[in-house]
Amino acid sequence: MTVNRSDRTPACRGTHRRAFLADLGMGFTGLALAAMLHRDGFASSTGPGSWSPPDGKPHFPPKAKSVIWLFMNGGVSHLETFDPKPMLTKYGGKTISETPYKDVQNPEKLKIARVTVLNDANGQQRNKLFPLQVGFRKHGQSGIEVSDWLPHIASCIDDIAVIRSMWTTDDNHGAQTQFHTGRHMLDGEFPTLGAWVHYGLGTLNENLPQFISMGNREYWNLKDGHYLGPAHDAVPIRVDPANPLDYGKPELPVRPEEQRRGFELTARLNRIRAVDYPHDPALEARIRSYELAFRMQKSLPEVLDFSRESEETKKLYGLDRPETRPFGMQLLAARRLVERGVRFIQIQHGAGGAGVWDAHGGLKANHERNCLAVDKPIAGLLKDLKRTGLLKETIVVFATEFGRTPGSQGSDGRDHHIYGFSVWLAGGGIKGGIAHGATDEIGFHAVEHRHYVTDVHATILHQLGLDSRKLEIPGRKRLDIDHGNVIKEII
Amino acid sequence: MMRLIPVPIVLLAWAPPAPAEPVDYLKEVRPILQERCYACHGALAQKGKLRVDSGADMLAAGVVKPGRPDESELIVRVASSDEATRMPPEGLPLKPEEVAKLRAWVEQGAKVPATDAREPDPRDHWAFRPVVRPAVPPVGAANPVDAFVAVEWQKRGLEPVAPAEKSVLLRRVYLDLIGLPPTPEQTRAFLNDASADAYEKVVEQLLASPQYGERWGRHFLDIWRYSDWWGLGAELRNSQRHIWHWRDWVVENFNADTGYDEMIRQMLAADELYPTDPRKLRATGYLARPYFLFNRTTWLDEVIEHTGKGFLGLTLNCGKCHDHKYDPFKQTDYYAFRAIFEPYQLRTDLVPGEPDVMKNGIPRAFDANPDAPTPFHIRGDERNPDKNRVVTPGLPAFLAPDGLKIVPVSLPVEAYQPLRNPAIAETYRQAVGARLAAAQDRLRGLEAALADRASFLRWLAAPARAALVAAEQEKAALEAALADPAKAPPQFRGTVKTKESNLDTAPDAKPLPAVSTGRRTALAKWMTDVKNPLTARVAVNHVWMRHFGQPLVPTIFEFGRRGQPPSHPELLDWLAAEFMDHGWSLKHLHRVLVTSRVYRLSSSAAGAEANVKRDGENRYLWRMNPVRMEAQVVRDSLLHLAGELDLTRGGPPVPPAQQEASRRRSLYFFNSHNEHNKFLEVFDNANVLECYRRTESIIPQQALALWNSKLAMTAATKINDRLNAEWKDAGDAPFVTAAFEMILGTPPRHDELVACLDALAELRGTLNDLKEPDRTKRARLQVVQALINHNDFVTVR
Repeated sequence: MTVNRSDRTPACRGTHRRAFLADLGMGFTGLALAAMLHRDGFASSTGPGSWSPPDGKPHFPPKAKSVIWLFMNGGVSHLETFDPKPMLTKYGGKTISETPYKDVQNPEKLKIARVTVLNDANGQQRNKLFPLQVGFRKHGQSGIEVSDWLPHIASCIDDIAVIRSMWTTDDNHGAQTQFHTGRHMLDGEFPTLGAWVHYGLGTLNENLPQFISMGNREYWNLKDGHYLGPAHDAVPIRVDPANPLDYGKPELPVRPEEQRRGFELTARLNRIRAVDYPHDPALEARIRSYELAFRMQKSLPEVLDFSRESEETKKLYGLDRPETRPFGMQLLAARRLVERGVRFIQIQHGAGGAGVWDAHGGLKANHERNCLAVDKPIAGLLKDLKRTGLLKETIVVFATEFGRTPGSQGSDGRDHHIYGFSVWLAGGGIKGGIAHGATDEIGFHAVEHRHYVTDVHATILHQLGLDSRKLEIPGRKRLDIDHGNVIKEII
Repeated sequence: MMRLIPVPIVLLAWAPPAPAEPVDYLKEVRPILQERCYACHGALAQKGKLRVDSGADMLAAGVVKPGRPDESELIVRVASSDEATRMPPEGLPLKPEEVAKLRAWVEQGAKVPATDAREPDPRDHWAFRPVVRPAVPPVGAANPVDAFVAVEWQKRGLEPVAPAEKSVLLRRVYLDLIGLPPTPEQTRAFLNDASADAYEKVVEQLLASPQYGERWGRHFLDIWRYSDWWGLGAELRNSQRHIWHWRDWVVENFNADTGYDEMIRQMLAADELYPTDPRKLRATGYLARPYFLFNRTTWLDEVIEHTGKGFLGLTLNCGKCHDHKYDPFKQTDYYAFRAIFEPYQLRTDLVPGEPDVMKNGIPRAFDANPDAPTPFHIRGDERNPDKNRVVTPGLPAFLAPDGLKIVPVSLPVEAYQPLRNPAIAETYRQAVGARLAAAQDRLRGLEAALADRASFLRWLAAPARAALVAAEQEKAALEAALADPAKAPPQFRGTVKTKESNLDTAPDAKPLPAVSTGRRTALAKWMTDVKNPLTARVAVNHVWMRHFGQPLVPTIFEFGRRGQPPSHPELLDWLAAEFMDHGWSLKHLHRVLVTSRVYRLSSSAAGAEANVKRDGENRYLWRMNPVRMEAQVVRDSLLHLAGELDLTRGGPPVPPAQQEASRRRSLYFFNSHNEHNKFLEVFDNANVLECYRRTESIIPQQALALWNSKLAMTAATKINDRLNAEWKDAGDAPFVTAAFEMILGTPPRHDELVACLDALAELRGTLNDLKEPDRTKRARLQVVQALINHNDFVTVR
């Protein structure tokens, strides 16, 4: 757009600002990528095979608007949470070859594993079956069995679709990245699901970043945008209204009023320059990015200030107990962000090592403690979203990189297990009260309705009204397995 | 036309195709065939003896029967629902609309234009033809670059914009060549220099400055994927400790203007070409960088991919699983290329004075396993090697018809027995001697202390006595090693071999080989031969892009048929020839480029609406492209303007914990896949996994970093202090003018000055509780802060 000289008087600033904001919704990030591809020669604006960035609108009518992505770092045991296998207790202490299930270790069936670390201490076959460490009970009208360590989530089971037949290929914690991008760490780096959503859909709130992450991400899983560009990385925030994000407040003393005038001066000077340098999309984008920065700096502390939440709500998320408070704070923040139109909120639970759920030893104590930390907050989130009607348009995902072995590691742990594990989805048009797919009698292989991790991505994108094949960009061919298949049975 | 007559009864059940639009073969049919069929049925391969890249071929083979789609095998096969016979065999089937297009085309008579011909032979692709220096167009331009550019202007009716203002040009060339803006004094000196060659003098001065090597070395470190080591905790998994020696080699050699060809030879094969020159051996850090503890295939895949993309503009990596779909490059070529690197491993050579390679040492390549076989992975799957295939080193025949001329290299004995180097022998002697002396002292001390104690207490000295024995044994072992370095045990070799994989546990006792295979030397010589059509073209394109903000060949790492053609093919070739004829001198290339008229144009499109309409993307350079500063330049410039930049060169990287306080140039910061500097990351620092071109994102976090970071706020304060030292008692207008000149390199226009004066008045109102002169200084600080947040601070105009 061109700027008239008369626009430069302060009285005209208002008009001007609106003109710049008009295409903020999508323009910003999509254009950046378009420019990048274009300049790298992967896309041309004319001629056959022409390509343009997404317009920010769904490809078909969506069922959901936002996603809250809860990721349990380290690998949750499917066997002690959502996929009970009494045969493990029955044959506990026996080697797999001594049971009727010895065929699970048929080398043909183990082929999907792609080894990153040869002779690693972890990520191995464990032969001696380890009995279930917790009891299970049926819950809700659906009667789905849930572990006794998760009583609160169990009380929401009729809103949840459990998928008991997931599989992946990286028997190490690079599988965390794999769950977010669909690719094994040896393949390189690819955009995460959140980045695709951010890339594909326009903004719902011009004052907030549309893709936010909370909690600790392990080093192999730090970024999101990759070839879509850093504009599609999640913005990491802390649930601390005083200091919610990096550079989110001045690191040296300055009065807000002073800084505001400085901001305004920059904006005014940039607009003056735009006269001398018309047709400079970078200058225009920078003016907009400063406006968004200023609004973000103001609005994030407000979102993260829980003082107006009722005591009852805070209790619902477990803010009143030290065990549940840290995760509960993040989930309450997530609800407040979803309420304000943030598209994708990615929360990683459990820092340290490769993730706190990584119970190579002492599984019972480990999972009991971790389940306690997340159970109440997650159930609180589901209930809170439901009573405010937001659950209808928000998908909540509970995921982890892999399950844990039916056999024991050491005397009381379970190792990484890629051949079968569980995740669940709720809300945003996902059917409640279903257990979809199944593993075999000892929870080893997914045998019914097997799903690779990208099937979860495909399902979420579908609910958001996106067709991942239409998002594909020139020069970056994706394989069928990268796109995954929508899990039709749960929608 | 019969079928177009409606038959009412049939219509109920079957709708005849609507009178189809005539299908355009070139626009609608050929692109589908090209995308999905040519790789196997075109110039590269003719599977089943079929090619479908011309109408005549399709007719002759009988796969297309005009007017009869159902009898045309082409249609039948692409439309088949039987996966066993459907074409193409790989990937998704053609989309229904694509099948419909092909079908309609056949139905309409399978017409092709009279000019229809087979696709050209891939060997004739522009980038694979030899570089021939083109004649400079006779348009009266002093600099040949301008002549080639002017021809395109004329051809396209483009009118170049006016030259940039002198101050803008000066800031541009400073940031471009040394990565730092000019100081106000430097700007003044330039503006006051009326001599005809004032600009050329500045260019020479900048090229001679040691900061040049830091700036341009960093550009190539992006391409060569420089990264400090990373792993998990203390376990090294990627790259190498002390790889900064390679970074220093890069900076030094850019400053010395070592030929690009020689730099390539040293990076790929210094261990064979200069086996006893530790300064040159640093260059093989290029091969140390892709190290990966857990997977040799991943490690070598990276070497192949980035040697191909970075130096040759070839996507060799596409041949890992199958024959290349666009270039005449077979899967076997991929593994033959890998075989060139198969024997190499890494070791860390001691540097004199430091016996502990955890503390210092030079990570370098050497051929450890001359006979290591190279696997051939069926469909690229490393779990599935073809056991019957013997892979020998080689190059794709279309580029190297004479093959790879490998001559094994007999190494001088110091190269494989570094203990023979007296400085290294002395280093061990000192260390072992010091340990022995310490053990003696300790025992002596203990014995003295225990001398008048009861004898049963003497056992307290036992461990010290044992330690002394061990130290004496160590000394004896060293003496034995020095006497016969061929048999030196691993701890006294003068070099420490890097684990080949995580399965390597014990230190390797095998002697180091006396002969190197010569494979990498052969590769390097072929790459740097003036007959190689790719190396120089790819290099000048890298350099051009960094001067002009956009490359001549947009696909910088893909010069094959999948890539895009150059915007100025003759200019590219002229530059490549000029570059090689001047000893591959980068400084010569810079000089030619930055002294061209086109480099000195303004970056403004004001008043050039006609150009904008004709060439809005400025592909034909009727103006300069504005460029966002790279991350390092943003930080270095802030510190430089604040008068704080520490220009110490080289040495170990600044560790993350010290970076906040450090005033060193940003290229010296420890940076790896795991360890990032937050500020640099926000401004799109190079991705260490692959960075042929920096991203130029514009995100709100950049605004927050320049407003709120301690770095930016401190720099603003210091800049304000410096300005106030000179302009304290002057009015606001001279202050604002000086601030503009210092931070943006240009004086303010009238309306910019007015805006700043307005802001200062408002700020004084806000700060009315402060007393003068503090109030003015504080108000001015916000103006400085606003200017470092100005678009044209982070932009090279």
